Amino acid sequence: MAIARIAVNGVAPARRRSQLAMAWGRYKKDRLAVVGLAWVILFLVIGIIGPWIAPYNYATTNFLTANQGPTWQHIMGTDNLGHDMFSEILWSVQNALEVALGATLISFIVGVALGLWAGLKGGWADMVVMRLVDFMFAFPTFFMDLILVTKFGRGMGPILFAIGITGWAGYARLIRSLVLGMRNGEMVEAARALGATQPHIMRKYLFPNVMNNMIVALAFGIPGDLTVMAGLSVVGMGLRPPLPSFGNMIAAAGSNMLGYPWLMYFPAGIFALTLLAFLFVADGLQEALNPKGGF
Amino acid sequence: MGVVRFLVKRVVSIIITTAAIIAVGYSLMRLAPGSYFSSTTIGSQMGQLAVQNPRLAEQYEHMFEARYGLNEPMWKQIFGYIWHLFTFNFGNSFENPSAPIITQLRSAFPISFELAFGAVLLAVLVGIPLGVLAALKRNTWIDQMLTTLSLMGNAVPSFVLAVFMVLLFGVWWQGVLPINGWGQWQDAVLPIIALGLGNVGSITRYMRSSLIEALRQDHIRTAEAKGVKYWPIIFKHAMRNSMTALITVVGPMFAFSVVNTIFVEQIFSIPGMGSLMAPAFQADDYPLAMAEIYILCLLVMVMNLLVDLGYAVFDPRVKLE
Repeated sequence: MAIARIAVNGVAPARRRSQLAMAWGRYKKDRLAVVGLAWVILFLVIGIIGPWIAPYNYATTNFLTANQGPTWQHIMGTDNLGHDMFSEILWSVQNALEVALGATLISFIVGVALGLWAGLKGGWADMVVMRLVDFMFAFPTFFMDLILVTKFGRGMGPILFAIGITGWAGYARLIRSLVLGMRNGEMVEAARALGATQPHIMRKYLFPNVMNNMIVALAFGIPGDLTVMAGLSVVGMGLRPPLPSFGNMIAAAGSNMLGYPWLMYFPAGIFALTLLAFLFVADGLQEALNPKGGF
Repeated sequence: MGVVRFLVKRVVSIIITTAAIIAVGYSLMRLAPGSYFSSTTIGSQMGQLAVQNPRLAEQYEHMFEARYGLNEPMWKQIFGYIWHLFTFNFGNSFENPSAPIITQLRSAFPISFELAFGAVLLAVLVGIPLGVLAALKRNTWIDQMLTTLSLMGNAVPSFVLAVFMVLLFGVWWQGVLPINGWGQWQDAVLPIIALGLGNVGSITRYMRSSLIEALRQDHIRTAEAKGVKYWPIIFKHAMRNSMTALITVVGPMFAFSVVNTIFVEQIFSIPGMGSLMAPAFQADDYPLAMAEIYILCLLVMVMNLLVDLGYAVFDPRVKLE
């Protein structure tokens, strides 16, 4: 390495761009992904500061101003209980983010732990984990979410837990297949020949190589969990009102459509745009991090 | 021989999976708050009785528990319940005790099945041509537009699309297509589109990438060199390969559509499985909820089995294992 750095003919060698910079360079080319990223960042920021900038509390009702169209006082109108829709949406963003990020994190941790274990240990561990994965893939996990929410209630915690604990199978399968592909590969064999210990191999060789795939899988997982959370609301098993959520607002908008269409424009529109933004980001990340193609 | 072994294995695994789902569902719901005595029909009368004559109310409850085996050990209840569901003996629901669950399901199931099936059919009929178009015009604006649109179809969930459609056809273009109810064929149009758009997106993207892949193959170049015309190359040489693998995309798609019928039926007020399921969960009507989940899971698993069989039939290289 030291030799390669010596300047030839007094010309400094072009600095090698880091992996990250190269990935960002590829990401930037996808205009939709950049726009999506901007929206996602805005969404994250609102998720943090939303409750402070919301003009009203989410539980504030005012029957004198119920079912109003957008005005300067209520820029997104009010619903049948006089909730200010703009504030409801700001609070919903926070709830949606907490549940989606938390649930994705749970799925991810469980999936990665089981997948790594199955892939590295092999044998009966692999068999048990893969049977479990097959089980989770055999039926729509949404039904299991419904059952869990029925048992544990419709609060933030139970919903987060239910979505998280049913969503790990995809991550486990992905990481297992990646680990299996690498475990007997030349790189790991070389490391082992040099005397590297198992934890060292995991940390320095396996983990960096599965990172990209994991980030992409996470980026696809978050909008998926947002959708499941809203889906629970549509069936009436989402966050218990008055806690605001996009699902509740969208479900309520359907029945009020004829009289008060603005109840639908803003929540459904923002929710749809958010999912799109997350998906564009995920798609962009996939292109940027895996130039070879999908995972 | 291989087929028989495969079938036996898959049927056994379906039985084990459904039994596990039922066991988990039953034990969780049994421990959850709410029972027959708290349902809206019985709850108020039982409350009255408990005030007027607590002893009688207690006796009544014990009788009920003995009658339905609720005082037996949990594992016995679970196995009993699994057996009952496997023999399609669903009993009566809490909220609507006069009508057995099986009669409710009998009218609701075909509706949901039609919707889910229609959504997959729509996806295949629309998605394949769009995917072929995108692949043949790849890296042009048509391709870019189709890829972006299909990504959007994937991203926006069916219930949001359904709500948008209610807005379109209920407020802006009133009377063009019905936005609720069930009975005539027009009623199925909007729900199927709402369900199917996501699937159209998946199939378009799948078709595009697999056709691009297929067009790079050597046998395509050979065909070109022989002087085979453009369209025969596409249809006879390239598309054949991608069509067989398409079946594997259809399996998960059907499962996805089954779940989404629940949402869409809710929004278009269609009397299918979904419109039974939502109130069942909201009212803690566990027998009905479990029966619904069982039937829908079974449907998904049987469909997946059929898909795998179909794959082996269409592609002789695939070995059933």
